[in-house]
Amino acid sequence: MECGRHFNIEILTRTELLDIQGRPGNFRVSLRRYPRYVDIKRCIACGACADKCPQVVPETTKNLGSRKAIYLEHPQAVPLKYQIDPLSCLKLTENSCGLCEELCPTQAINFEEREEVLEYEVGAVILAPGLKPFDPSRVGLWGWQSPDVLTALEFEYLLAQSTRTNTPLRRPSTGNPVKNIAFLQCVGSRDLNHCDHPYCSTVCCMFAIKEALLARQRNARLEISIFYTDMRAYGKDFERYYQEASEKKGIRFVRSRLHAVEFCPQRKKLRLHYVNIEGRQVEEWYDMVVLAVGLEVPPDIIELAHRLGLRLTANNFAATSAFKPVDTSKPGIFVCGAFSGPKDIAQAVTEGSAAAAAVAEILAPVRPARQVSQNQLPQTIQGDQKPRIGVFLCHCGNNISSVIDLEALLTYAQGLADVVWAEKHLFLCSQEAQKRLQEVIRDKGLNRVVIGACSPRTHEFLFRRALREAGINQYLLEMANLRHHVAWVHPQFKEETTQKAKDLIAMAVAKVRCQEVLYPLEVPVMKRALVLGGGVAGMECALSLARQGFEVFLVEKSASLGGNARHLSYTWTYENVQYHLLKLRKEVEKNPLIKIFLRAEVVKVAGHIGEFATTISSHGRRKTIRHAVGIIAIGGGMYRPFGEYGYGEYEEVFTSLEFDTVRAAGDFRVKRARNFVFIQCVGSREPGRLYCSKVCCTHSIQTAIDLKKEDPSRRVYILYRDIRTYGEREILYQKARKLGVVFINYDLHGTPKVSKSSRGLCIEVWDHILHRPLEINTDVLVLATAIVPNPKVRELASLYSLAVDSHGFFLEAHSKMRPVDFLTDGLFMAGLSHYPMPLEESVAQAKAAAARAATILAKDTVSLDPVVATVDLARCDGCALCLDVCPYKAISPLEIEEGDSRVKKIQIDKVRCKGCGICQAICPQECIAVANFTLTQLRAQIRAALSGEL
Amino acid sequence: MSFEPKIIAFCCHWCSYAAADTAALMRRTYPINVRIIRVMCSGMVSPKLVLEALQQGADGVLVLGCPLGECHYKEGNYRAQEWAEMIKELLADMGYEPERFQLAWCSASEAEKFVEIITSMTRRIKKLGPVENQNG
Amino acid sequence: MAEKKTTGAVLILGSGVAGIQAALDLAEMGFKVYLVEKKGAIGGLMARLDKTFPTNECAV
Repeated sequence: MECGRHFNIEILTRTELLDIQGRPGNFRVSLRRYPRYVDIKRCIACGACADKCPQVVPETTKNLGSRKAIYLEHPQAVPLKYQIDPLSCLKLTENSCGLCEELCPTQAINFEEREEVLEYEVGAVILAPGLKPFDPSRVGLWGWQSPDVLTALEFEYLLAQSTRTNTPLRRPSTGNPVKNIAFLQCVGSRDLNHCDHPYCSTVCCMFAIKEALLARQRNARLEISIFYTDMRAYGKDFERYYQEASEKKGIRFVRSRLHAVEFCPQRKKLRLHYVNIEGRQVEEWYDMVVLAVGLEVPPDIIELAHRLGLRLTANNFAATSAFKPVDTSKPGIFVCGAFSGPKDIAQAVTEGSAAAAAVAEILAPVRPARQVSQNQLPQTIQGDQKPRIGVFLCHCGNNISSVIDLEALLTYAQGLADVVWAEKHLFLCSQEAQKRLQEVIRDKGLNRVVIGACSPRTHEFLFRRALREAGINQYLLEMANLRHHVAWVHPQFKEETTQKAKDLIAMAVAKVRCQEVLYPLEVPVMKRALVLGGGVAGMECALSLARQGFEVFLVEKSASLGGNARHLSYTWTYENVQYHLLKLRKEVEKNPLIKIFLRAEVVKVAGHIGEFATTISSHGRRKTIRHAVGIIAIGGGMYRPFGEYGYGEYEEVFTSLEFDTVRAAGDFRVKRARNFVFIQCVGSREPGRLYCSKVCCTHSIQTAIDLKKEDPSRRVYILYRDIRTYGEREILYQKARKLGVVFINYDLHGTPKVSKSSRGLCIEVWDHILHRPLEINTDVLVLATAIVPNPKVRELASLYSLAVDSHGFFLEAHSKMRPVDFLTDGLFMAGLSHYPMPLEESVAQAKAAAARAATILAKDTVSLDPVVATVDLARCDGCALCLDVCPYKAISPLEIEEGDSRVKKIQIDKVRCKGCGICQAICPQECIAVANFTLTQLRAQIRAALSGEL
Repeated sequence: MSFEPKIIAFCCHWCSYAAADTAALMRRTYPINVRIIRVMCSGMVSPKLVLEALQQGADGVLVLGCPLGECHYKEGNYRAQEWAEMIKELLADMGYEPERFQLAWCSASEAEKFVEIITSMTRRIKKLGPVENQNG
Repeated sequence: MAEKKTTGAVLILGSGVAGIQAALDLAEMGFKVYLVEKKGAIGGLMARLDKTFPTNECAV
């Protein structure tokens, strides 16, 4: 993870927040740091300590196995450093043992460390503490006491274990292979009887489907049933995942109400009682039961929130406003992630960026003005001189030297062509060794360096820095991964290990010999952003950037700002949308840094990150805007279901938004009406539009509540497939039911039928309890129609070379980790052009996009990795095979004069290229080369690898 | 002495090379016969390189990439799949056993899978014996 | 006004995906970030998961 090595981030582990004093801009925070007993600077994670530690501590979570008293959090931990558990360490509990202290090759163990209170001055605070899984042992009837009943997380560990060891899934109780599994949803969620959690935990449905699919991957004959109330596959691409699991992957989904799980000692199986959709009691037997437990706010965080005086919701989540989704009730203290309500990874990441934007807005005056790129140090020695290679080997304590004969390796290295110097160190990563490395580079006039130590993935940056500081180009380096690829994985071999190490060194020498000097591409940043779309997302994004001090051009297609939000009256928490919208519009309009273009559309695009040139056409005139970054927030549209359910035919049939309008206008068709029917999922979750529109369940339920509140004698029906009131929206659903709104599921027996009768409309739907068709006479029919992508999405996608998903929404760079980034650098997205979402999620995305854009705008230049492809024009014959395979559309045709004729060639945009090398692989002329991984280098490595004996 | 083959494994920086590192952190062991060459993407390894490796004395070649759908470059591993089809044909044309080449996926956390791929490949190549001299 | 100068540093409590993303973005903008975590390593719940939906990819 990049986080571990960012020079602006200081990680404080084993630390708790005690208190925050002061005001926004000037907080004083106090922290308590618990001792680790291991010096992070010294620990090299060799594991010698844990290997010999006599104290085995079983993990409290089932299936996580055990650890030692000195342990790593997990194998991919950041920082990758050991820690001592003071509750089980013999030295710390009874002052004996101390073996690790003796064994540690770097003297990293320090039993004298004590708890300390730290104080920091900060301008703002972000709370992102996350949630904890519900503890199922609190409720007896889920049978968690039985070893075969696992929580979803415990099952994940069991599954990982089975994958790792390539063994079948076995029942913890008997050790026999598992034949069938039941997943029980909503354990500790949507439940006021067994726990006080009325809300939906939001993520457990998809988590269960994922685990079910992974389990089936382990064993295709495994029978898996998921027992659920409503399947909440509301997010981007979730519905497709769910439908595939159900239709193609053979997972059985059972809509049901669960009673209990108990272990039957006679049959050695788990008995599951439930009530099915037809109202019948059913009993089934399972080998294993997985509890999809919900999430809750950890008690220490509730306590902290009370200490800080933060406003919480009834369920202890941080209270926020839809228009300020990352602001807590205390100015200067922000929140992101699940603490403000359970949410999936993509939304949590989005809010992380949004919180960053919110902080940057208030701290804009003190943002460091210019950031010096680390790559701009003078480099005296160049790579085109005759190679003078230095080889440096690392003992890594005895991690490497106990398995590999380093003396022999050193002699071998000295004998390799162009190697003018070789030496070895106890720890190459130590400060002394780093200094020595620089001295040797200078003294011996080295212009290439080979490091025989550990993985370039974790240590290349360190050695690159050493090269830089020694005054040579940082790319003239190659690492031979002796520790991970030899010492740690081949302890069972003897001489062969040294032979393999020799090959690795020879390969590194061969590669670095043909290494060329590379410079990161420094692209100047034009300090201006372009925002396309003047809806809430576009305006929020523009405003956030302007508050951070950046100039913004806001382009709107229509004649006024506001977008879809103009049609909404309130949010799901009953905040007035029009009031906030007006405020937002005024603020945008009067901000001097925002320039607004109405009735404007993009007609031409050129350039790249740092300097795009977008031409817009406005009032018949064209204007070219130069900008460093672009945010696309062009919104979505509403599906109009002509020909379905009598829409367009009968005047009593409305879409949700149309109904809101006529109701607000006091239309007689509403005033007079006694019966109301809502049909959900009109145009959503069907072939061709296999996605959930996310907002319609909540919207219909809110309207139903209003209708009932106005006049309790009205009859209101909601015909649905799954009610997807995720998070605390679930409470609205409960309220509607209490008020007497009738919910009828039509998922299993087909869509309702609409006909006109003398008494108004007649809706026919199957009653699955009474097993017969039910006829509902109604005065009004409201269709909760889908949110559909803006047709302009495709147009802009082709202008900016962007990816679009199969439904016509923009495709993000990574569905989880980069939810608002496009694959093309410098472009971001927000709002309904990404996917259907409620207002507060649009605002969060808008702010997130603003933060992502600001990471570029804050710099004078962006530094791009020079590991990119270049073409040798002399040899290129213009065959253009490379054009189509480039995932980044970085290659374009080129015509050049050659003598008197024009010949076809290609050109590669260095800024767009990401160095994947597909073009290098396909080029028949071998005239494309990816720096650092050229064909010459790869061939040299192959030759060197095969030159040794074994 | 028993036959000890040499196997070249092209590993992509983002997933399979990381899987090799994870295997080491977890102290898994595997046959010593493999030599890892780090590439940025499995799609970077052309059929030509694979053939050259065999011609120069490798007894087997592995290309390991990110699982499908997880490529750091979105679609590089799909290209690797296309190359693999070509490689299989070329191998057949040139008289190499098809088992000498394998394309496989493992994510950064799939250390066991990595170990399993290396182990089974080595076993297979050992059974196959050294590459017969192509020129007779 | 005798206002104290604003501090260009941020404290983030919690190092799950949300906290890490906030930290990275702020650090890239040039702010100093203190990332506070109760456990011995950062990453939160997600670092412990093998795969994530809907694409089943590796978590970290």
